[in-house]
Amino acid sequence: MFVLSFLLRRLLQGCLIILLVSFIIFTLLRVVPGDPARLIVGGMAPDEVVAMKAKELGLDRPIPVQFLSYLANLATGDLGTSFVRPKSGASLGGSAFNDQTREERAKVLELILNTLPMTLQLAALALAFALVVAVPLGTVGGLYPGRWPDKLALTLGSICVSTPNFWLGIVLTLFLSVKMKLLPAIGYRGFSYTILPAIVLAVEIVPFILRTLTVSVAQVMREEFIQLAPIRGLGRGRTVLKHALGNAAIPLVNLLGVQLGMLLGGVLVIEFIFDYPGLGLLTINAVLQRDFPLIQGIAVFISVMFVVINILVDLIAMTIDPRLEY
Amino acid sequence: MTNPILAVSNLCVHLQREGRRLPIVDNVNFALMPGEVLGLVGEAGSGKSVLARALVRAISSPLEIAHGSVVFEGRDIMTLSPRGLTSVRGNRIGFIGANPMGSLDPRLPIGDQIVEKLRSVKPKIGRAEAREKVLDLLARVHIPSPNARFHEAPFQFSGGMMQRVMIVDALVSDPSLVIADNITQPLDVTVAAQIIRLIDDLRQSINTTFLFISSSLPVVAQIAERVLVMQRGRIVEQGRTAELVANPQQSYTRTLLSRIPSIWKDVTSPVAVEGEAVLKVDNVTRTYFVRRRGTFNSYNEVKAVRDVSLTIKSGENFGIVGESGCGKSTLTRLLAWLEQPDNGRIAFLGKDLSLLTRRSLIEMRKSFQLLLQDPYGSLPAGMPVQRMIEEGLLIHGIDRAQAAPLAREAMAEVGLDGDLAGRLPVGLSAGQRQRINIARALVLKPRLMILDETLSALDQVEQTELLDLFNRLQATHGFSYVFISHDLALVRRMCHRVAVMYLGRVVELADNATLFERPHHPYTRALLSAMPTLEDNRFSRAQYLLDGEPPSPINLPEGCSFRSRCPRAQKDCEKVDPSLFALDDGNYAACLHTYGALTQKETADVE
Amino acid sequence: MTEIVQQSVATPANSKGGSTPTGRMLQLAASRMDFRIGFLGFSLLVVVAIFLPLISSIDPIKMSYGAKLLPPFPAEGWRWPYLLGTDQLGRDVLMRCLVGLRYSLLIGVTTVILMFVVGCGLGLYAGFRGGWVDAVIMRLTDAQLSIPMIILAIAILGVSRPTVPAIILVLGLSGWPLYARVTRSVVLGERNRGYVLGERVLGASDLRIMLLFVAPVVLPPIAFVAVLDIARMMIFESILGFLGLGVQPPTPTFGNVIADARKYLLNAWWIATMPGIFMLVSLTCLNLVGSALERARNAVLRGEA
Repeated sequence: MFVLSFLLRRLLQGCLIILLVSFIIFTLLRVVPGDPARLIVGGMAPDEVVAMKAKELGLDRPIPVQFLSYLANLATGDLGTSFVRPKSGASLGGSAFNDQTREERAKVLELILNTLPMTLQLAALALAFALVVAVPLGTVGGLYPGRWPDKLALTLGSICVSTPNFWLGIVLTLFLSVKMKLLPAIGYRGFSYTILPAIVLAVEIVPFILRTLTVSVAQVMREEFIQLAPIRGLGRGRTVLKHALGNAAIPLVNLLGVQLGMLLGGVLVIEFIFDYPGLGLLTINAVLQRDFPLIQGIAVFISVMFVVINILVDLIAMTIDPRLEY
Repeated sequence: MTNPILAVSNLCVHLQREGRRLPIVDNVNFALMPGEVLGLVGEAGSGKSVLARALVRAISSPLEIAHGSVVFEGRDIMTLSPRGLTSVRGNRIGFIGANPMGSLDPRLPIGDQIVEKLRSVKPKIGRAEAREKVLDLLARVHIPSPNARFHEAPFQFSGGMMQRVMIVDALVSDPSLVIADNITQPLDVTVAAQIIRLIDDLRQSINTTFLFISSSLPVVAQIAERVLVMQRGRIVEQGRTAELVANPQQSYTRTLLSRIPSIWKDVTSPVAVEGEAVLKVDNVTRTYFVRRRGTFNSYNEVKAVRDVSLTIKSGENFGIVGESGCGKSTLTRLLAWLEQPDNGRIAFLGKDLSLLTRRSLIEMRKSFQLLLQDPYGSLPAGMPVQRMIEEGLLIHGIDRAQAAPLAREAMAEVGLDGDLAGRLPVGLSAGQRQRINIARALVLKPRLMILDETLSALDQVEQTELLDLFNRLQATHGFSYVFISHDLALVRRMCHRVAVMYLGRVVELADNATLFERPHHPYTRALLSAMPTLEDNRFSRAQYLLDGEPPSPINLPEGCSFRSRCPRAQKDCEKVDPSLFALDDGNYAACLHTYGALTQKETADVE
Repeated sequence: MTEIVQQSVATPANSKGGSTPTGRMLQLAASRMDFRIGFLGFSLLVVVAIFLPLISSIDPIKMSYGAKLLPPFPAEGWRWPYLLGTDQLGRDVLMRCLVGLRYSLLIGVTTVILMFVVGCGLGLYAGFRGGWVDAVIMRLTDAQLSIPMIILAIAILGVSRPTVPAIILVLGLSGWPLYARVTRSVVLGERNRGYVLGERVLGASDLRIMLLFVAPVVLPPIAFVAVLDIARMMIFESILGFLGLGVQPPTPTFGNVIADARKYLLNAWWIATMPGIFMLVSLTCLNLVGSALERARNAVLRGEA
């Protein structure tokens, strides 16, 4: 019962947010210079053709009307059709306006759903790498504050956070891929192509986990119930793992939601550098090509994802910590 | 001749600080016989808690055990191997601390945690068997609905209930010794008395030895047969409780005993004064709405203050007492007009506060001031002392040149040294800080000072000094005081009239002598019976101490809210919620049966 | 931003002699080794970045075909005065890095100041006022946080000309909600502390309490952690530059220099690598300083110093 009311409340809030976001992006795209209609038909086309195309796409209507019809389509799950990308997935158009070989355009939702699994794979692997490195180090650093594990965590965190991800990607590509031929870098022809990008993304995640864990583990270890545990007869190992880590994980989970936005930026850049065919690359190309429906669709989709992930994170937080009330 | 179960010899614990070693526990020797309850009394800083932890070798840097032996059941804890130590701690020796709410992992159900402890110290016990044992103990410590509460987390318990849970946690392994370190300190007076009664009862059936540590001798005296007195790390005196109290040998013990205020013996309580009304409170109610956990949009009503009426006269000291949840904090905020009542009115010097314009309200504020409990949090950081005192004047438009001498005057009057004027409050004692607070209020020449547990954070000596100051100021300036306190001894000493609150209502309002010697309301009697005192309590616990805890203010029962625990409760109490009825002697009590069918027993005691 | 800020910021019970809490935090931070190393390193870099291009005769923008693709010291083929080598158009890499550092710093510091002022101001107001003001501001932060910064940046900067003020604005928009939230929750915690109640009872107005008492106590600890954000913003700026959305060439910024240098990675690795090392070193120094400040702040808040 409780969970249901919580979900209801959050979903409603989420819808409002998604609405707001889509409206902002929608308006932004419409008010900036650059005419998508012309882009589609090609630079050489005469004005009437451009006007006709604009009418066909509905670009001549007032903005609020366009928005409403967009919303209507959204409700049915139709995120529109790409201005640029053809169904076959081949490269962008740009041929003459009356070229018969111009194919049908791809649906935005399809494009998104095709690339989403790649990004998820990248994110999952990066998260795994980051957890494997940061959780043990952060925990030990918090257990012995001020000593070398803590200092190591601090220094490692500082270095990781000071490294521009695109630069790291380039440098790692140079050394690991080109010079030492250990790992493949550009594009995607198998799972191993995910490893290098995942390492770079992990470097972005690690400092956040390190910093949060060292602080919260140190804090929890000072709590009375931890001090009392050995007197009550609990073994140290059990105490640390179950009680200390369990409580220290709470702030970590809480801050996860906030971190998501920042991580997304990283994903975008990394996919761009490594030419990794995920959602990030799709986004950047969409922007560069002024593919309005695609940009919008991605923005809406990402907002939905964010809302869902935030709700999930809050649910997990509530499971770990019964004191939280939403 | 039986062997002592615990024999401590030459125990020394040092504190390493800045290269020096300060003795915190200094050559302590004592022995505990099986089955006895030994009390350990010491003021704050005497080292008693450190001693408690040293006994189970739970000392970590910067403290260290320098030398000594603690022989428990024939083995020296100080030289045990780690395996030996784990076989003793939590298993043969149980420990209960002073912070029940923080003693267990706040996320997990308490029942599971106690089971976890039991299975850690006695690995052979199966899960089902452990569960049974925990449930059984939960019932024995009078936790209602143990099956349900087994699965609740610590924050769902009150302080008193949680302390009972910790008692279960200590006893679950059938230890032969339990160390109870200041276990009643954070609890309300009646709850603390219940816990002590509980331990006494349990003792009869389980034959466990207890080391009962407290900073209050009257508390220890209620349960301990023998007492150790500790001062600055040393045991200065030990002996059987009755003898120690009657014939203290050491001067420190004598000092300790002399500081305990007497309640009934040789007490001249202030007599009620006549005078015009300074603050008049009429039928004031305040309700809070707290969102109900786990629902969409529904709220719980918390009736913090219900239909309270009282009048404070000029030059009078008025006491408001009650335990947690009685509403006195909310009432304080209403009296200081930090919040407004939902119903009823509060009139200061005849003027209804809710009708005043903003300007006249600010002007009026000069005349009634509030002094809070926390001497540290109440002073703004980073502001020099004199400037702090001038603050009130500055707010009311007096410029700095004129405010400065007034502030210095106030400082002198409260006994603050003149050269503290430019200092920041860092490093000042609690007593000095409260004096700053008094000066801040004093400088506005108020008529009424509301003291919200203002002395609770101070030690005995500082309290006495400040009480003298209050009396002096009253003689000079003619203040009225409202003392809000949980400390009945303080109220007994200072107040002309006293109001007792329970669940948002005033259940009794009487002059000092009547309240302490001939109270009417059963709750007042229970409070008095629970008071830790060395004197013979007129109101014995066996007869007057109540069971259970107050119902939650969210779910107030119909009729009299006290009836669930009242020895006098009858049929009509279920229907009518009594307000204060006037009694013959000008006092009031909120009970339907003050005059009605008093049982024989009660009549005899009251007279 | 951690949750430690929730504790009371006013004088803790066992505060030792000394000045205000802020003073003690600074003192404690300055005594740490990592603070000193970071501070020294960073100051050095800033001084060099500001002054060296002024006194040097080398022009970071001027192309010199005769000095193309020279490797750095001490590799073979190195030529004075091009200490870190030259790029494909003969421009000195060191100079370009220093100019890039200038822009990074300018944008980073300005952005953080903007975020701090706007965010903390709104947070103070929301926390103190409560009611619908609070609700509105909170919903604003929610909405802002839901728009991934990168998409906003791409959307705005990708379509109009990226000028320095525009970049600062976009970066600032991404960060202010966090400041507002943290400030607000600390203020909510402080509102019921003794000294605030005491002031209200004396008759002080909300504004007076907020500005004179609460702000000086709440803001400095947040400011300390803001130092870390300068580094974060500098990285953001470089990412934007890399994507072509930052300050445009020929003005060198870390981002666009590295982007350009990708093509030459195999035979002139230093063009791309040097700027990155510059960033790494300067930001690590900044982060060491910021982390030391954060640790000191936490220790004082816990009452240990």
